[in-house]
Amino acid sequence: MYVSPVREPLISGEKSYEKVTRDIYSPMAGQPGKLWYAGLTLAIIALMFGLFSIFVTVWDGIGTWGLNRTIGWGWGITNFVWWVGIGHAGTFISAILLLFRQKWRTSINRSAEAMTIFAVMCAGLFPLIHMGRLPLAFFIFPYPNTRDVWVNFNSPLLWDVFAISTYFLVSLLFWYMGLIPDIGTIRDRLVPGIKKKIYAFLSFGWTGSARHWARHESMSLILAGLAAPLVLSVHTIVSFDFATSVIPGWHTTIFPPYFVSGAIFSGFAMVLTLMIITRKALHLEDYITKNHVESMNKIIITTGSIVGIAYITELFMAWYSGVIYEKFAFWNRAFGPYWWAYWIMMTCNVITPQLFWFKKIRRSLTITFIISIFVNIGMWFERFVIIVTSLHRDFLPSSWSMYKPTWVEVGIYVGTFGLFFTMFFLFIRFFPVIAIAEVKSVLKSSAEKFVKKK
Amino acid sequence: MKQKTYVSGYFNDDKDLIVAIKKLQEKEVVIADVRTPFPVHGLDTVLKLRRSRLPKAGFVAGSIGLIAGFGFQAWVFTEGWPLNFGGKPFMSIPSFIPVTFEVTVLFAALALVFGFLLGSGLGPGAPTEIFDEEVSNDRFQILLTANATKKESSQQLLKEVGALGVKIHEPKS
Amino acid sequence: MVIGAILAAIGIIFNLDHSHRIWANVLLNGFFFTAIALGAVFFVVVHVLGESGWHTAIQRIPEAMGQFIPFGGIILLIVALLGMHDIYHWSHTEHLDKILEGKKAYLNPIFFIVRTVVYLVVWTLLMWKLRQLSLASDRSDDLKLFSRSRIWAAIFIVIFAVTSSTSAWDWIMSIDAHWFSTLFGWYIFSGFFVSSVAIIIVLLFVLRRMGYMEQVNDEHLHDLGKYLFGFSIFWAYLWVSQYLLIWYSNIPEETVYFVKRQEDFSIIFFMNVVINFGAPLLMLMSRGSKRRLTWLLVTSVVVFIGHWIDLYVAIMPGVIGEPHFGVLEVGMTLLCLGFFLFIFFRSFAKAPVVPENHPYFKESFEYDNIR
Repeated sequence: MYVSPVREPLISGEKSYEKVTRDIYSPMAGQPGKLWYAGLTLAIIALMFGLFSIFVTVWDGIGTWGLNRTIGWGWGITNFVWWVGIGHAGTFISAILLLFRQKWRTSINRSAEAMTIFAVMCAGLFPLIHMGRLPLAFFIFPYPNTRDVWVNFNSPLLWDVFAISTYFLVSLLFWYMGLIPDIGTIRDRLVPGIKKKIYAFLSFGWTGSARHWARHESMSLILAGLAAPLVLSVHTIVSFDFATSVIPGWHTTIFPPYFVSGAIFSGFAMVLTLMIITRKALHLEDYITKNHVESMNKIIITTGSIVGIAYITELFMAWYSGVIYEKFAFWNRAFGPYWWAYWIMMTCNVITPQLFWFKKIRRSLTITFIISIFVNIGMWFERFVIIVTSLHRDFLPSSWSMYKPTWVEVGIYVGTFGLFFTMFFLFIRFFPVIAIAEVKSVLKSSAEKFVKKK
Repeated sequence: MKQKTYVSGYFNDDKDLIVAIKKLQEKEVVIADVRTPFPVHGLDTVLKLRRSRLPKAGFVAGSIGLIAGFGFQAWVFTEGWPLNFGGKPFMSIPSFIPVTFEVTVLFAALALVFGFLLGSGLGPGAPTEIFDEEVSNDRFQILLTANATKKESSQQLLKEVGALGVKIHEPKS
Repeated sequence: MVIGAILAAIGIIFNLDHSHRIWANVLLNGFFFTAIALGAVFFVVVHVLGESGWHTAIQRIPEAMGQFIPFGGIILLIVALLGMHDIYHWSHTEHLDKILEGKKAYLNPIFFIVRTVVYLVVWTLLMWKLRQLSLASDRSDDLKLFSRSRIWAAIFIVIFAVTSSTSAWDWIMSIDAHWFSTLFGWYIFSGFFVSSVAIIIVLLFVLRRMGYMEQVNDEHLHDLGKYLFGFSIFWAYLWVSQYLLIWYSNIPEETVYFVKRQEDFSIIFFMNVVINFGAPLLMLMSRGSKRRLTWLLVTSVVVFIGHWIDLYVAIMPGVIGEPHFGVLEVGMTLLCLGFFLFIFFRSFAKAPVVPENHPYFKESFEYDNIR
């Protein structure tokens, strides 16, 4: 495929196919460094703390959380939506960028997809535990039972069950199918032994046969075509948790596409946070280049601006509608007791990403890293603001109340970081972080200098 | 790919591979398999591979999912366990849409993935013969059966079209 | 255009006492074709910002479409100046109810006209600037022209993002002035953008027939087909979002919008969804379907008619209360369509058919979609 010489290379340095295999395999070879052990240990400690907090929740009850009669959803659901949102970038990169033939996705899609799977795992924890009686969690699935009872298909909370389960499964399958050829590559590099047998098992017998590749491409394309509307539908259904209500600040028709944009926005920020560190730590700077970072920043500024426009639209409509409860809900966000959360959200989400209009900033790794953290903080606050400020002061002033998280809720959130990073550290050790075969397929056209083997 | 003798030759470049395949096709040689480290552009056209039936399988499965998903919800809400939610009708089509969509996608995706794995004979612990471990790294391999044509031996053919490292692989007994 | 003029004239004469029906049609068509032109500019802008190469083979078509913006804008200005009282309840400033009183700061005749003029002027200036840069690049090898296009494209997209919504609120949402929906601006955008893509395909077909655009191959068609398919689904997604949420919460001041349409305009209302979602979904799902120009043409015509109906459903219930469809509607549409095509062909002829100097031009012919 021809690539215009005006375009910047996607893979820098002199690379042959063999070098690509070696570069990507090297973090998996030999002994892991001290940093890896340190990171994994920290992650496991956080995870343990989280598990303990969950134990306290289940043993002592939901009363250990800070929820009260007016504010039924607090940190738990904020974190749920935050993690699901982050998960969206992986599928966006894999599926939607594939449909748009964006070659630069090949260096980051594997990690981003892995990030999606781990993020969805973290997200799924919250609905599970916030229902209280974990052993009865299977009640949420429709199955014939002696109580002659079925699930409520008309509840957005049940739509969530279907959406998140489907999303998790499809993302996992999409990620793994893409991984199979690369596992084959790893398998073939290993000397005979247990490790080789394990990877051989995981490679599902992949040979690289042309027939299999053809089917693989066909399957990937259609999975991408399915995953694209799926990713939109998942966060849409999450937004329905709020928008199908009658509460001012929750019930508004713009929520579905606004939530989806916000999800992609925070997801890409997380990908950047992770990739900027990973590329340095694993010496993959030639593959995850400034161009990749710049392209991701363009997506951040696009989706961030869409989110900003949605904020302005909501504010305008709150006035235009003439509904006093709507007007109050938005006034309360900006000037009520949680004003600080609102202004953190506005600064982090609307102002900081606008810096990416400047090319120098788009291409600066340090500034990008800092902004990516701010974006994720901002998006956390966005969910907090939507959920808590709308709930704490709705129609009846006598019911107005305040909410503060307890250490248990904070602990569970810390635990999800533990879970996420434990999985992530294991992933970078045992699986290739970059899609080897996909990078090779664009090497000739997009490398700075392609070296052919004689 | 069992119990047969194969002859393999490899190339270092995908363009060389395609040129070689075309030459072999001119001699009406039947190619047993071609193995590459990544999907090579244009290879499936040159090999005249039949268009995969996966898309159709996916569409059928998705349609089944659509009907099953919608139908099941409709049954649950009219016969199985009708619930009055906000005074809305039992056959509440708008609210059935989200789950119907998810089930459609789920069925289609599962059909695609399992269709791919089963159709290609791949799966956990599936046995395969890897004739050259460097293929998954950077070699583009052509496999011929031991007596691909009556006139010339397979090794000869492969050398003629420029293959490197021509080798014979006896079946493991 | 001539047939349209005659039909429109007949229609107008027969309906002189129903001036609001006439004005509603002028608004519908004026908005539809201006929006299609605007959507075409957006199409080019998005590809410039996305650094894409494939679109260069066809980019002169949407560029020429964009030239209609000032002309369509003038039609809308005429509606604003002369037809306001027939269409918008809030313009009867002497007897406003409490709700409309509350919106007076935004929905008043003067501000409305000012906004219309601002949209018209700003859109025209931006469209013109982008066109200038594109044409200049044909005559010069200076790559700086492309970086400047990117800058102007960025400026356009920010202004477009805001004004596409506010103009939809102004011209269409305010017809049902007691109602509101935060999604409305994006919903209307999705409708007119997919219509722009449909018209690009139709014009491509026509130009092919006339012997131009031979460089366009099956890959380009496939990509256009993907857009038509994908954005039709996006439109349907937004339609469902708006409908489902309002249906589910069942708040009377919101549901009144759909109740009116489902009861008095029921057939057209449901046809709207079937044509704009069902048809493209089924007609363009298979790979082959997206690579045949005649099939794409048929689907594009269906989509075009479908989105005209979408605007009909959006505008008419608030203005005339019951469905009327006759010579006036057909005539006015043909008149505006004719006008649009006239401007298009005139603009298209003024520029080289392909931007051969574009740095990514060659890429447009050396790519393919996976089998």
